[in-house]
Amino acid sequence: MPQGRTGLINYRCPECLFHQVDYDLLHDRAIDQYYCRRCNWEGDEKAILSKYAVYKTKYADALKRWTVDAIRAKDEADWPEPAA
Amino acid sequence: MSQFVLNLIHRPELVPEYIDTDAQEGQSEQLSKKEVVGESLDIFRLQQQIAHDNGLTTTIQMTYPSLFNDEACTLAKQHHDEFGDEIGHTFLGLNSKEFREKYGLKDPAIWLYTMEHKRLIVDDSFERFREVFGFYPTSTGSYFMDAELVRYIKEKYPGVKIAVATCFEEGPKVFRHANYSWYTIMDGSPWTAWVPSKHNIHAIAENDDDDIGIVAVPHLSRDLVAIMDNAGDMFGTHPQNIIRGLINHDDRLPYMYNLIDQYRVLADQNRGYSYNLVYVGPGWMGKAGRWETPYRVLKKSYEDFLAYYGELKRAGALVDMTMTEFADWFRATQPRSGPCVALWKDVLYGTKNQAFWYADSAFRVQIDLKMGGAITDLRPYASKLERPTGAGTAANQDASYPFIVQSRYRAGPFVHYAGEGAIKSAKVRFGGEEIDLSSCRTLGRVSERGETRVLTIKPVEVEFASVTATIGTEYAFEPNTGEIRITRRIVACTDPSAQLELDEFMTACWGTTEYPEDMTGCGLRVRGRNGGEHTIEYAYVCREASVDDVEVVEATFPMVQTRVSLVPETPTCRGYYEEGYSFAPNLKIGVSKALRVGEELVTCLRVEQG
Repeated sequence: MPQGRTGLINYRCPECLFHQVDYDLLHDRAIDQYYCRRCNWEGDEKAILSKYAVYKTKYADALKRWTVDAIRAKDEADWPEPAA
Repeated sequence: MSQFVLNLIHRPELVPEYIDTDAQEGQSEQLSKKEVVGESLDIFRLQQQIAHDNGLTTTIQMTYPSLFNDEACTLAKQHHDEFGDEIGHTFLGLNSKEFREKYGLKDPAIWLYTMEHKRLIVDDSFERFREVFGFYPTSTGSYFMDAELVRYIKEKYPGVKIAVATCFEEGPKVFRHANYSWYTIMDGSPWTAWVPSKHNIHAIAENDDDDIGIVAVPHLSRDLVAIMDNAGDMFGTHPQNIIRGLINHDDRLPYMYNLIDQYRVLADQNRGYSYNLVYVGPGWMGKAGRWETPYRVLKKSYEDFLAYYGELKRAGALVDMTMTEFADWFRATQPRSGPCVALWKDVLYGTKNQAFWYADSAFRVQIDLKMGGAITDLRPYASKLERPTGAGTAANQDASYPFIVQSRYRAGPFVHYAGEGAIKSAKVRFGGEEIDLSSCRTLGRVSERGETRVLTIKPVEVEFASVTATIGTEYAFEPNTGEIRITRRIVACTDPSAQLELDEFMTACWGTTEYPEDMTGCGLRVRGRNGGEHTIEYAYVCREASVDDVEVVEATFPMVQTRVSLVPETPTCRGYYEEGYSFAPNLKIGVSKALRVGEELVTCLRVEQG
C-alpha cells in the first residue's frame, strides 16, 4: 500500500473542523478514499462535502446582507424604549 | 463628520507561507517548486492591480528576501511613483535562503528570537532597506512585536511611526485551530489602532512618559462576537479568513461586506472614527488554490472585497491612507489613551447576541450581553506588565497579555458541581432561591455622559417562585481612571414589599490560556467602615470572611502586578471574599445589599497596578 498523498483538492478533515482544528486529509489513490491522520475519520469526497454542509448550518446569516442601516436597526425592536 | 479609515497592506513574499508547503504538495505534478516561487510576485502584482483598479492606495511591506530581489524592489518603486503607495517594511517572511545563509536560523517569527538576534535582524533589514531605497522605512510590522523590540527600533530608527503589532485575539483558540502549530499566541490587545505602552505592546499608553513612540495597528479587523468562542482566523477582514471558516457559498461572501459595514457602524460609538486593516500576503491566492477552495473563488473574493472598499471611497464613505499617513492622522486627531468602544451585534449566526468591548490605558473589558451583561474578559493594562517574548525569556511564545477574568477559558458561570468559574456578574436572591444575571440574555446600548462612556443594559426579568423582579444595569466607564461604576436597580417587582438581595461579585484568577496558574500568594482583603478587616494570602484552603458595612473588598495578583477592588457607593453593604481551592482555582470578592423596588446598588470596580 503506497503512502497517502494530499488529494488534487486539498480537503480538510470534516470531523476535525467540528473541533475547530484545521487538518489536511490524505488520499488513498488505490481505493479513492480520504482519511485523517489526527482522528478516525475516513470517507469519500461526497462524505466530506456533506459534513461541510452540516458545518455551515451554524452560520444562519452566511448569505444575508447586513448593511450599515440594518445593523443600526438590528434588535432595536426588542427594546422599544428610547436610549437614555 | 464620520471618518472610516482603511489601511491596505500587501507584501511581496518570495517564500509564501502557504503556497510553498501544503497546496503545492498536493499538486506537484501540475506545479513545480520554481513556478510556485515565481508565482508569488505575480500574485503580489495582481493584488496591487486589484487595489489600484479600485482607486485604493496601498502600503507595500518589503520582506527580508524581497529586499534582495530586483524585480520586487523595482515594482515597489514604480508603484510608489505611480500610485503613491508607501514602501514600508515587515519582519514577516524572514525565513529565506538569504536569511538562513547569513544567520543559520530558521524561526520565521521576529518576536521569538533572542533580544540579541532581534537587534541583529532589525539592523540588517533596516540597513538593507536603506541601501535599496535610499531611506529608512517609517512603517513596519509582524504578527507580533513585543515592546522590547519596538523600543529598540525606536531607539535606533526613530523615524518609525507605525507597526502592525499584534494579531487581534490570536491566542489559544487560533493555536488549536492551526493544529497546535501556529505560534501566534497573543490574546489581549485592542481590536483597533492604539498607541502602545512602553511596558507592554498590548497595553494602551497612559501619558507622554508611557508612549512607546509608534501607533500600533492589529493584523486584520475581526468580528467581535464570533471570535469570543472561535479562532479569530476565520472572521477577519481578509477573504481567506472567511473562506477558511467556510462562511462562503462558492464565490458568494456577503459576510465579508457585513464585517466591513459593522466596523463602519462603530464610528457612531467613537466620535465619528472607525478603522479597518487589510493585510494580505500572496500565499493564499496561489493558482493551486487554498485547501478546498479553487483559485477562481480566491481571486474573485479579493476582487469583490477591494471593489467594495473602492465603492465606499468613491461614495465618500471611506478614506484610504498609507500606514504612515494614518499614523500622522491618528496622532493628530485621536486621544492617545483611548477610549475605544465597540458594541458588536451578531451578523453571522442569526442570533441577537451582542458583545461590548471597551479599552483605554487602564484595561480592556469584554461584556457579553448574552450573559446578562457580565464581564467575561478583563485585561488589566494598568499593571503595565513587562512581558518580553522570545527565546531566553520566561514567556517565550506566550505573548498574550494576562487576564484576571476570562469566562471561556475558565468556565464563566458554569462548572460541573464544585466551585465557580471566572466572571464578573451579579446574583439576585429571594426566599432561598438564587439567580445569576448571567443566565438572562439581554441587549445593550452605548451612550456618552461628558467623557464617560455608558453601556446601558436592557432590564432583565428574574423569576422566583413567588416574586418576579426586573433588574436594570448600567456600566459607566470614566476613561483612563481604571474605574467602572456599576449600577443595578430593581426597576419593577410583583411584590413591592419584597426585599431582594443583590450580590455584585467578581470571580477572578490570572492566566493567558485555558490551564490554571499558581494562585499562591494572591491576596484577599475586606475592610469595614468601622475598622473591621480580614486579610489572607491565597493557599487553596477555602477561607471566607465578610464585614457588614464594607468600605472596600479587594484582591491582589502579584504575578500580574494587579489590584482589583469593589467599592460600594451605596451605604451599608455587606462585603466578602472567598478563597478558592485546587478544583476551582479562583478567588471571589463581592458586595451585597437587600433592596426593594426602586432602590439601587452602586459599586465601583477599580483596576490598578498593585
